[in-house]
Amino acid sequence: MTTNELEHLLMQQPVSLLHRLARGRISRHFRSGKRKLVDLLLQASAENRPGLESDLQALIEQQAQRPQPQPAVQKARPAPAGSRQAAPAPSRHHRHEEHGHHEPPVSLHEWLSGIGVPPPQPFVPDAWQVDALAKLAETDVVVSVPTGSGKTYVAIEATARAMRENRTVIYTSPLKALSNTKFTEFSRVFGPGQVGILTGDRREHAQAPLLIMTTEILRNLLYDAAGGEIDVRLDTLGLVIMDESQYLADPERGVVWEETLIFCPSQARLLLLSASIGNPQDIADWLTAIRPTPCSLIRHTKRSVPLRAGYLHPNEKLTPLFRTAGIPYGQPHLLHPEAKRLFMEYEEETGQARSR
Amino acid sequence: MPPSIHPVDLVATLRQRHLTPAIIFLTSRRACDEAMQSFERSQVTLPTAQREQIARVLAQVTEQFPSIAEHPLMETVQRIGVAAHHAGHLPSWKIAVEELMRTGSLDAVFATTTLAAGVDFPARTVVVTQSSIRKARDFTDLTASEIQQLAGRAGRRGKDLVGFAVITPSPYIDLTVLTKGLTGQPEPIHSQFVITYPMVLNLLKAHPREQIQSILAKSFAQFQLNQRTAVLETKLDSLRAEMEPFGPRVCSDWITQWQVFEQARKRKKPRSPFTRQESPDVAARLHFLTPGRVVGVTRGRGIILRQYRSKGQHAPMVTLLREGGSLNECPASIVTQVFDRTFDCEETSSYPWCTPETVDQLTHHLAELPPRLPILPILTHQHEDAPIDSSIVQTLGDFACPTCPSRQACQRDFPRASRVRQEIQRHIKSIQALQTSLWHRFQERIDVLERFGYLNANAQLTADGEWARLIRIDHSLLITELIRAEAFGAIDPPLLAAVMASIAHDDDRPGSFPRGSAGLVTLLFQVRKLAESLAPHEAPPMLRADVAALTERWVADQTLTWIGLARLTTMAEGDMFRLFARTIEFLSQLKTLKATHPSLAESAEKAIAAMRRGVLEELP
Repeated sequence: MTTNELEHLLMQQPVSLLHRLARGRISRHFRSGKRKLVDLLLQASAENRPGLESDLQALIEQQAQRPQPQPAVQKARPAPAGSRQAAPAPSRHHRHEEHGHHEPPVSLHEWLSGIGVPPPQPFVPDAWQVDALAKLAETDVVVSVPTGSGKTYVAIEATARAMRENRTVIYTSPLKALSNTKFTEFSRVFGPGQVGILTGDRREHAQAPLLIMTTEILRNLLYDAAGGEIDVRLDTLGLVIMDESQYLADPERGVVWEETLIFCPSQARLLLLSASIGNPQDIADWLTAIRPTPCSLIRHTKRSVPLRAGYLHPNEKLTPLFRTAGIPYGQPHLLHPEAKRLFMEYEEETGQARSR
Repeated sequence: MPPSIHPVDLVATLRQRHLTPAIIFLTSRRACDEAMQSFERSQVTLPTAQREQIARVLAQVTEQFPSIAEHPLMETVQRIGVAAHHAGHLPSWKIAVEELMRTGSLDAVFATTTLAAGVDFPARTVVVTQSSIRKARDFTDLTASEIQQLAGRAGRRGKDLVGFAVITPSPYIDLTVLTKGLTGQPEPIHSQFVITYPMVLNLLKAHPREQIQSILAKSFAQFQLNQRTAVLETKLDSLRAEMEPFGPRVCSDWITQWQVFEQARKRKKPRSPFTRQESPDVAARLHFLTPGRVVGVTRGRGIILRQYRSKGQHAPMVTLLREGGSLNECPASIVTQVFDRTFDCEETSSYPWCTPETVDQLTHHLAELPPRLPILPILTHQHEDAPIDSSIVQTLGDFACPTCPSRQACQRDFPRASRVRQEIQRHIKSIQALQTSLWHRFQERIDVLERFGYLNANAQLTADGEWARLIRIDHSLLITELIRAEAFGAIDPPLLAAVMASIAHDDDRPGSFPRGSAGLVTLLFQVRKLAESLAPHEAPPMLRADVAALTERWVADQTLTWIGLARLTTMAEGDMFRLFARTIEFLSQLKTLKATHPSLAESAEKAIAAMRRGVLEELP
């Protein structure tokens, strides 16, 4: 290796490696910058060039063995691509970014392609919907699926089934506004006489087989039942559907969901519909622990309509947000170079650059 | 460059790219309203078909909810195909917008990020303009769950092949939060179980106190506490395994033994400078070396003038008046004999430690003393001071430690073993705390309810408790205490509704409001006083007089229309609606007290009937 080659190779290395190389060769090496360090290394090893070279090789190999959080260095490293693949796949985001470099980022045209209305198809329930309904025949069910996956279908089918068996169904929602929407929606499905709604001071069709109410109202009914005064037929209650069960974690109202679930009559099946949450298994395990019937979990994270993310600059320029057309789950740093550039520009211009 | 894209341009871009219909999440209601206003001047022309469709849907909804016919946005929406949907709107208007979105008639809806959960309609595209939202007066980053909830509205099943989430920057954006939220896992949820007064009363109505603990154990809170317990228990097991090599030695509990032994040694140490140089007989004599005492020294005799400790070594010292009148400072050990003879000695605080006359007198006395004096017999004790020390040392005598064969092992292992043992004890305590915390909180509530007389000493409901348990709303303690204080004796429905409104309303959004009546002001003053006195037991409500006055006006003046009421205040219609809806909810709880408080229940019923008119009648 000529001096120039060696110098070039040294300049490509990360400073941390150079410091390790300088140990024992140069005193007070930690004081010098990279350029200085390379010069000093070359000076100091004038007599023992092969020693330096072999140490350098050893360090580079050692570095290649472990995941390296500096992409710039990785690019420059002369290690063969094969060894990089063989390295244990770490969850370091830069790693993914590097992998992404193999494929060119998605173009805006590709990203926008496929917009449209799917051809009308006969409705076929998704596998998870079928699964949820099958499980509900045997057990309580917790459903945790992304927003817009079709939880309402499960609610409607389960209600219809309970109604056929002459069982009462209670459907709770967290907001009065949602109760109203569902009341309208279910009245359309089951016919107006079949759906009732209960609020604090009003009850419409209180004798209907499907009753819609907020969770607070159901909690109060259950307390009344426990206290001996009862005005709704809880003995024929066959199914309790709790929509938006992730409200269990609401700081102010979460306790109401817990009270309701604890006191929910044991003969009634429970169907908890929730948006995606991190620990739905905990809820299923909890319900299994406190109720006579076990509780199954239906969970999936795949959206029924695929999602794409974009970035719209204030100057109306639109670009994909990520290098891939879809969402790169688990790889938040796989940003589209164009989106990255535009956003940095934005931050510079608005004078509030966040160091990221 | 503008800090963010102009709403008109935003919608135009989305239209051009076929990304409509879209839901555009903005930072505030005001931002939504301003966005709508910016369309007023725009020259957007909608296709006739779309305009007709909007008109048709709106007509349908208006049939059901006549109140929206006069909505100021009605025209704009029909002209430009864009609407706003936020908490400041009436529910009926929001239903209309939702219906328009469901039928795909609109191009865009501006909504607030804060109320994303209330946005229950899908679109092809969701536009996000911020990465943090205002929660309890503070801006917090959106969580992954919240971001996915927002993005979840994109892509209508059966109507779209793909959905889009478009981020457009505004001064409130941190791109990292959003990209992490979009690509990440939603956060796990945690129980928010609290023990409320109505919960305690209702549980004790149905179950004896002994069963409560097992009911609380069924909560999700306890389930999650148990999960934490399990982690601690695993840790505890590994700690116990670590303790294994430090098991019983010569003595079964060698750590404690060694600890006491060490303590005893350590406790002796700081005292050693005082006692080390003192032989037992010197120490025993010290008590007798009081001013005026005649003592024998190696040569001749003397009288003690004072006793003290030397500065450096703390050696016991005495100031001695010698025969011949000389004053000497000498160590106490110089004293060989203590005679049974003392003279009066008038002490002073400085040299020569007594009055000059006393010195003269004592010198005189000393010269006059007979050659033989009775000697005071002094018993010497081994350790006459420090009773604690002696007790420990006595127990130490029971220990075999100093001579024990495993002494060295104990000495070596003690630091680690005692640390591990402390850890074990800490873990055991935490586990116990986790297992009993809910029950403790329940008992605290029982104590409060007992003190106020809702429960008797056996934790059974009193007559007051029997009706108080029917009040199952926030601030229940304040409300039941107000009832017991007869604040609502023969109260008028408007006044009752007004007080309930001020208790129910928990929003601090400012605004201008009509004034309340004198009666209301007085009553609210009393309510506030009571709420403050209850503050240690229940967080006091905001008790805003302005919203109370608004409610009073609505209930008292039956000819007042909703529009007329809206003109009296700057409060948004949606907020007014929510205030009244919540007030009705509170009043309907009072209505359940028919059996015990008939006049109050009747007043509540009248108030509800008076409140339910116009817009408030439209929805159940």
